[in-house]
Amino acid sequence: MFTVVGAPGDRRTGLFAAACRAAGLAAPRVVPWAQVLRGGELPVVPGAPLRIDSPGDDPEVDALLRGPGDPARVGGGARWYAAFTAALGRVAAAAERAGARPLGDVDDIAVMCDKRRCHALLAAAGVPVPEALPPVHGYAELRARMVQAGLHQVFVKPAHGSSASGVVALRATPAGRVRAVTSAALTRSGTGSGAGSGSGGGTRDGSGPGLVNSLRVRVHESESEVARLIDLLAPDGLHVERWLPKAALGGRVLDLRVVVIAGEPTHVVVRTSHTPMTNLHLGGLRGSVAAVRDALGTAGWERALGVCAQAAACFPGSLMVGVDLLVGIGWRRVAVGEVNAFGDLLPGITGLPGTRAEGLDTYAAQIDAVLAACAT
Amino acid sequence: MTINEHLAEFAGKPVRGFRYERDGESSDDHHRPAAGGTPASPGDVAWRVGTWFDGPSFGDVFQAFLDEVDTAAVTHLVIGYWGASYDATDAVGPVGRLVQAAGQLPALRALFLGDIVLEESEISWIEQSDVTPLFEAFPGLEQLEVRGSEGLGLRPVHSRALRTLRFESGGLPAAVVRAVGECDLPALEHLDLWLGTDDYGGDATAADLAGILGGERLPALAHLGLEDARIADEVAAAVASAPVVARLTSLSLAMGALTDRGAESLLSGQSLTHLDRLDLHHHFLGDAMVERVRAALPGVEVDLEQQEKPEDDWFYVAVSE
Repeated sequence: MFTVVGAPGDRRTGLFAAACRAAGLAAPRVVPWAQVLRGGELPVVPGAPLRIDSPGDDPEVDALLRGPGDPARVGGGARWYAAFTAALGRVAAAAERAGARPLGDVDDIAVMCDKRRCHALLAAAGVPVPEALPPVHGYAELRARMVQAGLHQVFVKPAHGSSASGVVALRATPAGRVRAVTSAALTRSGTGSGAGSGSGGGTRDGSGPGLVNSLRVRVHESESEVARLIDLLAPDGLHVERWLPKAALGGRVLDLRVVVIAGEPTHVVVRTSHTPMTNLHLGGLRGSVAAVRDALGTAGWERALGVCAQAAACFPGSLMVGVDLLVGIGWRRVAVGEVNAFGDLLPGITGLPGTRAEGLDTYAAQIDAVLAACAT
Repeated sequence: MTINEHLAEFAGKPVRGFRYERDGESSDDHHRPAAGGTPASPGDVAWRVGTWFDGPSFGDVFQAFLDEVDTAAVTHLVIGYWGASYDATDAVGPVGRLVQAAGQLPALRALFLGDIVLEESEISWIEQSDVTPLFEAFPGLEQLEVRGSEGLGLRPVHSRALRTLRFESGGLPAAVVRAVGECDLPALEHLDLWLGTDDYGGDATAADLAGILGGERLPALAHLGLEDARIADEVAAAVASAPVVARLTSLSLAMGALTDRGAESLLSGQSLTHLDRLDLHHHFLGDAMVERVRAALPGVEVDLEQQEKPEDDWFYVAVSE
C-alpha cells in the first residue's frame, strides 16, 4: 500500500488512487499536507513506497505555507519555500522511522522548487538551459544586468513559483522602452490590458499595494508600472533567464512538458499559446505531438527526449520529474526551462509508443515502475 | 492574434533560408530550414536572408548571400531579422543594402521586408526605414510587403509593375497612408494596410485615406484591405461612399474594431453586392447586425468570424503591440 503525502480530495490524489485501484492495489493512505505542516506524528505506511505530491492549492495549506492572506495573491515564495522544505524534512524523517521508501528524494524536490538552484544544477551537468542573469534584487538592478548581458528580452520568474505565477516576459531597450507580459495583476486600480488586445497604453494607474494571479495574460508598457511589478516580486527571490524565441506551429508558439519516469521520457504534452506563456490555465492549448515530432525530425525528436532524460538524471533520487522543454524557433535547438517535481498531472495522456509506459497514464506508469523495481 | 510563424511561402514560391554560420551557430537555428535539397534553380524559391539576435550583422549575411547564390536568377526575397538599434551590435537596416545590390538582383519581383515574429520582436518594435528607394532601384518590383512601422517612410512613387502592396503594422503612420494614396500605381491589384492604433503610431484618420478611396491612381485595384484599424467605424463610413469600391471584387475591414455603427454605414452606403468577398473577421458587431449584414449581401462571401466582446469598454484590434 502506498502512502501519499498530498491533498485529500485533490485531483492528483484522486487520479493516483484510481491508478492504484486499476493496478489491483489497496487505496493509498493519504497523509494530508496540512497535517505535515502542523507537525506531529505522520501515519506513514511502514516499509511501503511513499509518494510525495504537490501541496495543491488548498487555502488552509496555503495559509500554513505562506501565512494568512488572499490565496490568489502572488508572492510569499520565500516563506513558502522555508515552510515547505522544513515539512519535506519531517516527511523524510517519518519515512525513515517507518522504513518507507520515498519515490521522490526530498533534497531533489527542494532543488526543483528553487528555480535558481535547479538552473545551476542543470547548467553544471551540461544540460542545455537558457543563459541566466546573476541574482537581481529589484527592477533597477535587473535592467542594469540586462544591459551588461546584452539582453533585451528575458523571463523573470519568482524563484519558488509554480504554474507561471508571477512570471514576467520582459522586453526592454536601453532607451527605456519596456513591455512586460504577465498573469500577475497589480491590485487596486491597476488593471492591465489583455495580451493581443492591443489596448496599448497598458495599465492606467497601478498604484495598488500587491499582485494577484489572474487567468488573463496582461500587458504593461509603462516603465513605472513594470518597475513596481518587478519590485513587488523581487523580495521573494527572482530567477532571470534569456527569453529564447520559441518554435511555433499552426500560428501558436509551443513548448513541451515531458514526464520522465525511472529515467525514461514517457509522456509528452505539447503546450501552445499566442502569448509567450504556454500554461494551459492561461489560455494555452494542447498541441499535436505528432506534428512536433514531424517538425523536429526523428533525430531531433530523439535529441529532445535525450535532453529531458539528461535533465532527469540530475535528480537520481526521483522516480518522476516533469521537464519543461523549450524548442528554439529554428526547431534545431532545445533547452530545459524548468524541472517540476510535481509535473505529472497530465490527465488522459498515455505513454509514448515503445516506452514502458505505453498505454499507461503518468500515475499508472509510476506504479508500474515501482512494482517492477520491487520485483527485481 | 499574434504573428508567431515565419513565412513558409511567399508570392507563390516556397521560402528557402539562406544558411549562414558563425561560431557554431547558424541561421538554421533561428529559422526552420526548408525540407528537400538544393533548389534546381535559385529562381525556384523565395530566398530568406536574415540574422538573429546576438548574431552576425545583417550586412555580413546579405553580402554572403550575394556572393554565394546566383542572385541574377533570384525573383523572390524575404528579409528576416536584421537586428535593432537597441541590440548590442550595430544594426543595419535592409533597404540600403538592397538598393546597393540592385545590380546583382536584376530579376527581383517580390520582396517581403520583416519576416519577424513576436518571439523575436514586438511588431511595433521592428525598425523600418524609408522604403521609397526600393521602387527606384527595382522598377520591376511586382510585390512589396512590409511588416512593422517604426521609422517607416514612403514618398509617392510611380510604378507600372507593382501589383501587390501590403503594410502589416500595429500602427501605420498617417504620412505613409497619405503617400500610398498619392502613388501612381496603374497595375496595382492588391492593397492591404494594417492601420493599427494610435498607441503604436497609427495616427491616420479616415481623411488620410482619401487618395486611396478616390482610386484615380489605382485603376486596376481589385482587392482593398483597410485592416486592423482602431478607427474601423470611420473607415467603414468613408468606404461606404468611396469611388474605388465599385471596381473591387474583394474588400476587407477585418481585424479591426468595427462595431454596429460602422456596419450600419456600410449597409446604408453604396451597394456592395458586386463583391465576391467581404472580410470583416474580428469585429464587435452584435448578433442582430451580423444577421443584417448577411441578409443584405446574399451573393457575397462574408467572413464574420471572431465576434469579439470589448474588454472594459475597450474595442481592440487584432494586432497592435
